[in-house]
Amino acid sequence: MIKIKKTDLHNFIEFLIKDYNVYAPADVGKKIAFKKINSAFEIRHDITNTHLSPKNVFFPQSEVMFQYSDDGLKIPERNEKPIAVWGMRNCDTSSLIMLNKVFGDAHQMPDKNMYKDPYWKMKYDNCLIFGQACNEPLSTCFCNWFDGNPFAKKGADVFVVDTCDHFIFEGVSEKGKAFLLKYKFAEEATKTDLDKIAELKKTAESYLPEKLDVKPLYNKMSQIWDEPIWDEISAKCINCGACTFVCPTCHCFDVSDEGKGKKGKRIRLWDSCMFQIFTREASGHNPRELSTQRVRQRLMHKYNYFMDNYEQYLCTGCGRCVQVCPVNLDIREVIKQILDYKISRNEDN
Amino acid sequence: MQQLVDKVKEIIKNKEVDVVIGWGRGSLPFSATPIFVETEKDAEKLIFDETCRNNLTTYLTKDKRRISKEYKKIGIVVKGCDSRSVVLYTVENQIKRENVVLIGIPCNGVFEKKKLSQLVDGKEILDFQIDRENIILKGRNFEQTHPLKEVLCDSCLTCQYPDAPEHDYFIGTPRKEVNVPDAYKTINEFGKKSSEERWAYIQEEYSKCIRCYACRNVCPSCYCPECFVDQNDPQWIGKTPEVTDSIIFHLIRNLHIAGRCVDCGACVSACPVDLDLRIMSKKVEKEIKERFDYTAGIDIHEKPAMASYCEHEKQDFIMG
Ligand code: SF4
Ligand code: SF4
Ligand code: SF4
Ligand code: SF4
Ligand code: SF4
Repeated sequence: MIKIKKTDLHNFIEFLIKDYNVYAPADVGKKIAFKKINSAFEIRHDITNTHLSPKNVFFPQSEVMFQYSDDGLKIPERNEKPIAVWGMRNCDTSSLIMLNKVFGDAHQMPDKNMYKDPYWKMKYDNCLIFGQACNEPLSTCFCNWFDGNPFAKKGADVFVVDTCDHFIFEGVSEKGKAFLLKYKFAEEATKTDLDKIAELKKTAESYLPEKLDVKPLYNKMSQIWDEPIWDEISAKCINCGACTFVCPTCHCFDVSDEGKGKKGKRIRLWDSCMFQIFTREASGHNPRELSTQRVRQRLMHKYNYFMDNYEQYLCTGCGRCVQVCPVNLDIREVIKQILDYKISRNEDN
Repeated sequence: MQQLVDKVKEIIKNKEVDVVIGWGRGSLPFSATPIFVETEKDAEKLIFDETCRNNLTTYLTKDKRRISKEYKKIGIVVKGCDSRSVVLYTVENQIKRENVVLIGIPCNGVFEKKKLSQLVDGKEILDFQIDRENIILKGRNFEQTHPLKEVLCDSCLTCQYPDAPEHDYFIGTPRKEVNVPDAYKTINEFGKKSSEERWAYIQEEYSKCIRCYACRNVCPSCYCPECFVDQNDPQWIGKTPEVTDSIIFHLIRNLHIAGRCVDCGACVSACPVDLDLRIMSKKVEKEIKERFDYTAGIDIHEKPAMASYCEHEKQDFIMG
């Protein structure tokens, strides 16, 4: 482990910028989100997780898939430097692993010949992720329900702890270790630093909610598909896309063609299962016409279907959906409500 | 709010309504949450305070929801702006007034989350306390006091109808004094800027939109079964979050709510990126007032501005 003085961070970031396009938590309008930075001074260190998730970096809200004109078809290529992301929390680094299962990593897919998404891969495959410890989890954080932890390193190439006057770096992946070796201006971390990290970790964990065993959630959800509980859960939802758009793990998209005459492009855009037109078919029929059905879809995907496909839940407990929901439909309460629910259906019929 | 609880218990007991939509305590310090009260026991959960931001009347018209499907007579707790939405629905033939029982409540204004987070520079507020004219915000390592006025919605600061003008029952004492010297101050000041400055501001603001449609979906006036942004056969407008596309969405939406927006501020509160939506909606409201002498949701017998025609209306925008 190595360390640099906090006041020297700009040198480190400058070094990083030489080889990478660097994204970090920074001011975007009145909110804080991951954005491409040109200097360390843009980074916001004083927050825990950003208002918007970092999925935008690898899976932009709108992305051109190809363009066409008289000159033929043009598929975008990436000629830029690879991406490095600074300041990702465990709930976000874990979300990248989930998204990579969907878009990128065929080895983790049930069928190895499954489609690999070139648009994702050209950004994600050679990226460098700086995970960062959360010294101060928010009241909406519940990563500990989903195998996360404010000091967990999973999904990071380099793990960073902010110890007030220093940043301590630990190489996690081979890629991360190799990068740290290249940086010559750091000191070795000492025993005192390790003690400090242990202390910070303890404090951070004390801010988290009581751990909830979410393992039974999968089975429970398999049994309640047609239970009236969904009416109760969904009654107040107004079916906006806020929760899904801020979520680091939601990844549904729509494809839209924009063209005029012989020129045009195909774009893919974030979509949300909360929207009424999400499942509307060409005939006009909509299998998820009701708000209840859409809310059920969102939760089933997160805590049931994704498990079927990829053997884990599609939620990292980042709490962003809790923060933004205009009607305070709190997913933590929904999880508890489902776990506590007594199935009314008679199993025999 | 014992009076509120008692009244709701009474109308449920008398079977005046099948359900009462009101607010209950939410899971975050600044968020009350909509609740659907069907029993006297559940009525105990009702609250009313500065955290009750939502305009609950939005549940009355949203198509294909359980609430409009299952219940015949709906009771609803309304602030001033919310009661105006019910007037709007009535004049627009969306509901039958006699099917809704309105429990009016005097409102001193509701909190604006984005103002709160700006005051503490994005830090997390874990608790608050109201001390007469002030609010004390408490976080893990801070405590700061601000005048209550600084954290109320802009809509509340210029509200002229805090006492639910349309109601069947009224709880508490009306706030008699409503003193709004200039409801359009912000709009007028903005209007004095050069067109370049205004355009720059509008572009900067509307480029933040992530097209989540929370503003539309919470809005009581946005009840079209199929919104123009959802038309995809063929697609009517661009769907990217680029400012050129977003601005079209907002411009059209503002035309659709012209003379229909009750300035409840629900859209502003719902927006996850704190976009200044009111800069457009309030301007449209002002235009409607000046041109047609019409204010949405006030007179339950008056035809809506956009559904009536009068010979001496100003037409300078057509004839130049
Ligand atoms: S569902 Fe909510 S808590 Fe879970 S990852 Fe998405 S935004 Fe975070
Ligand atoms: S959910 Fe956990 S990992 Fe994410 S910000 Fe909160 S404490 Fe950190
Ligand atoms: S943010 Fe809340 S209201 Fe909007 S779709 Fe999600 S759960 Fe429903
Ligand atoms: S546009 Fe906004 S302020 Fe106007 S009625 Fe709709 S939600 Fe309320
Ligand atoms: S709520 Fe905000 S971000 Fe969402 S569509 Fe409306 S203006 Fe855009």
